[in-house]
Amino acid sequence: MEWLKTEVVPEGLEFKPLRENRVLVRVKPEDVDRLAERFVKKLGARLSHATGVDREQFGFDIVYVYDFSKVKNLVLVLEAHVDRDNPIIPSVGKVTWQAVWAEREIKEFLGVNVAGMPDPRHQFLPYEWPKNPETGLPSDPSLYMPATTGVSPTSENWKPVGIDPKTARSSLLPIGPYHPGVIEGQTVYVRVEGEHVVDADIKTGYHHRSIHRLIERRGYNKGVFVSERVCGICSAAHGLAYVTCAENLYDAEVPERAQYIRTLLVELNRVHSHILWIGVATDLIGWKTGFMITWGLRERVMDIIEAITGNRVNYGIWRLGGVSRDVSQELAMKARQTIPGLKEALTQLIPAVVDHPVVKARVVGVGPLTFAQAFDGGAVGPVARASNWKIDTRRDNPPHAMYDPSKISWDIVVDDHCDMLGRTLVRAKETFVSVGIVDQCLAYLEKTTGEIRDKPKTIEPGSEAVGLNEAPRGELFYYMRAGGTDVADYMMPEGKHNVQGSNLPQAVRIRTPSYRNNAIIPQMLIGSALADVPIVMGSTDQCLACTDRVEVINDKTEESYTLTWEELVRMSQKRWRS
Amino acid sequence: MPARIKILQEVLAHYSSPMTLNYPSSVDPNKKYSSIPEGLRGVPERDEEKCIGCEACARVCSGMATKIFDNESEAKRLVQIFLFRCTFCQHCVDECPTEALKMSKKFEVATGSRDDPANYVDTTLDLLRCGNCGHTFYPRKYVDKSYELLMQKINPLVKDVVAADFKKVQDYCPSCRRAFAYKYDTHTKKHVWLEGP
Amino acid sequence: MVDVLFTAVTMLIMIPVALFAGILYVFLFRKLSARFQWRVGPVVRMYKDLAPLLGASRILQPLYDILKLFGKDTPVPDISRKTIFVASPYLAFLCAFLAIFFIPFPGVPLLSTMEESLVIASYLLIGAVMFTILGAASSGSPWGAIGARRDVEIFLIYELGFVVALFSVGLVARSLSLWEIATRPGLPMLILNPFAAVLLFLVIMGKLAIKPLDMAEAEAEIVAGPFTEYGGKYLGLFQLAKAFLFYDMVALFIALFLAPTLNSILWLPVYIIAVVVILFFITVMQVLHPRFQIAKGMSWYGRWVLVFGVLTAIMVLVLRFYWVV
Repeated sequence: MEWLKTEVVPEGLEFKPLRENRVLVRVKPEDVDRLAERFVKKLGARLSHATGVDREQFGFDIVYVYDFSKVKNLVLVLEAHVDRDNPIIPSVGKVTWQAVWAEREIKEFLGVNVAGMPDPRHQFLPYEWPKNPETGLPSDPSLYMPATTGVSPTSENWKPVGIDPKTARSSLLPIGPYHPGVIEGQTVYVRVEGEHVVDADIKTGYHHRSIHRLIERRGYNKGVFVSERVCGICSAAHGLAYVTCAENLYDAEVPERAQYIRTLLVELNRVHSHILWIGVATDLIGWKTGFMITWGLRERVMDIIEAITGNRVNYGIWRLGGVSRDVSQELAMKARQTIPGLKEALTQLIPAVVDHPVVKARVVGVGPLTFAQAFDGGAVGPVARASNWKIDTRRDNPPHAMYDPSKISWDIVVDDHCDMLGRTLVRAKETFVSVGIVDQCLAYLEKTTGEIRDKPKTIEPGSEAVGLNEAPRGELFYYMRAGGTDVADYMMPEGKHNVQGSNLPQAVRIRTPSYRNNAIIPQMLIGSALADVPIVMGSTDQCLACTDRVEVINDKTEESYTLTWEELVRMSQKRWRS
Repeated sequence: MPARIKILQEVLAHYSSPMTLNYPSSVDPNKKYSSIPEGLRGVPERDEEKCIGCEACARVCSGMATKIFDNESEAKRLVQIFLFRCTFCQHCVDECPTEALKMSKKFEVATGSRDDPANYVDTTLDLLRCGNCGHTFYPRKYVDKSYELLMQKINPLVKDVVAADFKKVQDYCPSCRRAFAYKYDTHTKKHVWLEGP
Repeated sequence: MVDVLFTAVTMLIMIPVALFAGILYVFLFRKLSARFQWRVGPVVRMYKDLAPLLGASRILQPLYDILKLFGKDTPVPDISRKTIFVASPYLAFLCAFLAIFFIPFPGVPLLSTMEESLVIASYLLIGAVMFTILGAASSGSPWGAIGARRDVEIFLIYELGFVVALFSVGLVARSLSLWEIATRPGLPMLILNPFAAVLLFLVIMGKLAIKPLDMAEAEAEIVAGPFTEYGGKYLGLFQLAKAFLFYDMVALFIALFLAPTLNSILWLPVYIIAVVVILFFITVMQVLHPRFQIAKGMSWYGRWVLVFGVLTAIMVLVLRFYWVV
């Protein structure tokens, strides 16, 4: 703490320790970029996420969360307050690329003027919105073109949607939103010359479901089920991060058996997710048989999951203070007996798929990402570990599950190929590590009994918490702020809190690992061949459903109109003749 | 080449026993479902005898599927789960005080139309009518169960007074209870319950 | 006169036979690849309780898919060259369709008694693919352009092998008429010049877009390649041309290399067994490989075609001049 006050943030106005190793520091908005430079460049920290909370007449709170775990056991939550009349804050994105997408989001949803952004375009809303009704053009032309000041990884004259298709022809290819090589809806604009990619840009936002607002309306207990449904593949990771974050709002003590059950399910989730990814990657290089046979193997894992939790995808066992279902000793024994068969099947199949000569020809040297690029761009998860950067949330900032190295032994898998082959190998080896963890958890569960749930306590209004977890795709970040303060401070005498409204969170913010990895895809694509574009996109193991989940806080009404079926058919027929 | 041979072996291993099933064909029942484990979370089922109509399941339902409908004229309470919204999360099963709910193993819930009665899981209970104003308020079973739980945990010194008072109020709705509060022996301004009758 | 009448009658009968043979070959290809992928595939005998709804058998599933396409709306993009765009499917279909008359069936010569039937058949088969490329290039879409370019690059390699394989057989049999090659006495060409058989098999893989050489139709990368802008009846014509092309290439392989099976109609069971074996090998190649990138694919393909082409040429010289058969 002293180190923090003297060396790290001497400009801090208020220091408040939160639970676990998080510390909240309030600063003035003008200092934010200087502090970012000091943290990232000199002290070697990582920016986890930057977000904003709308406090209506009290202004905006812009929150930056820095992960210092490589230097000291600390996660720093930096808060700056800006007024509603003139919300202006200097940009952290011009210091480090890790913040660029977060700042685009803050600017478009809260209306905060982030000065000096390298890329001021919309992140989730369409580039052309809002349109000037008279001219039909976007009312803010800077949204079309990236700013010429600051650092920009794409070329200066890049106009992703300003190109007339008649003149572009085969030089500008939109991969998506509907494309057989892209599993979910996104658009990657690539400019090609022949088969070589010269420039690339990515646009997301097609899956926006306003999950933040859904959780904020439903409260902590019901919000667990919403957070599980952010993503189907990594549903357990979201559940664990949510309960870690909510339990950090009060003094939680999760029983040991519940921790083992939580680790068991998150690692089973990781096994099935990585096997799924190997299938999807082989499908993207055109080998449907690899897809079918690896998913056939995945069914064994799904059977174990279904026997333990009752459902294959959304486990529904996450509760504040523990888990809701116990794994009885016979069930643990039966599950443990299937593990050797599973390991043998994996050992036979996965090396055969990964060492295939044609697969290797497609995968070696594709999508390179050096260590420096990964560090500056803020890669997380297997993408970072394949570039020789050893970060893993389970070691650095463990969530509320059993990852204690003295009780469960496991290794972090790091590879130095720095390309697509490295990512494949990292995920294949992680599958085996996770099966080992599952075995150890089941060994504990079949021999002991115990409590599985602890009663939750009251949450103090205004408390804040950060929850981190290692999803199969990387670091998953949850931020929550408990409600009940703003209305209260305005109406109650000094020092008293009105607990009305404190059963609901004031702010819930989710940042998924695909959010980070998607920001680096354009850098990986430049210089590769067109045939490699889907496999590079797939190598970050995208989950667009995770990425697009922000709420719209602005209450500007936009004109809305519904298209009837006839209009839709006529619009698509305009370009065609029957 | 050895990799290709290994893949060929893998591929031919399941040649005559494919992993896909004949669903929805029911000619060979062994080939319709792969396995239905014991703890499968299917459609929730409510035991009509045990349900007391306490509304706990409606309050914790995370998908807003369970709703309570009170019918004044017929004095019936309908506890209804709308299966289109149920997420099978088991929250209601965990919170039910009488353990009336259970997740069955039924998962084929598609029907042909929205109004099909198979889309709803209904339980009807009788409501009591207030002796004073005539409005319906709580189900009989709820009142009985509250009495039972109260008598289990109460301080034995005041048990008789509270039991006598309860018998007086149990047929009146909460608004009327408040209106006639002075009739109770446990009223804070009366000291009967401290010193005895 | 009787000859002409017989040929005309057999040609008319051959049309539905070739169509159904092509459909059945595609069905067998799909069924085998499904079984290799641990799936069931299209069923030969439908389950009893679903039969009233779905029919007794799905063995003609490829035909149903083609007929469904004929019933759909047919869009034509307005930035395309409309005449070529509309004409290409018809021309491609015509080439693949006419080629069936120049390739003999067991015991039935059709038009393969003509002097240059080998050359005519090879031209028609080249034309079937070329009109696909032409149609893709005229569609005005970037996916079609990339697909057409990749198609041309693969086309250059396999046409070379195609010519070498065909004329190697022609040179040893000293004739360019397919009927004479097919009814030649003596050992089948498969045993005499196995390199040519392997070369023709590689060519079949390229022509029918079997993995690892289907980068022209790579769906994960360029949507549907040459067929992206085609829908409705034009796509139906292309699929029909592909079904006929399946029949053509397999029949050509058997006519060239398994000569005794075409002597008379009584050899039909052996013909069918040969067809099944060839389809089995095609499916195994399809199932075992992912798709190559275009540059690496061309170099891999070119290498193998070159090696087997040279070996074939040497074998032809040996057979023609030293060990004359």
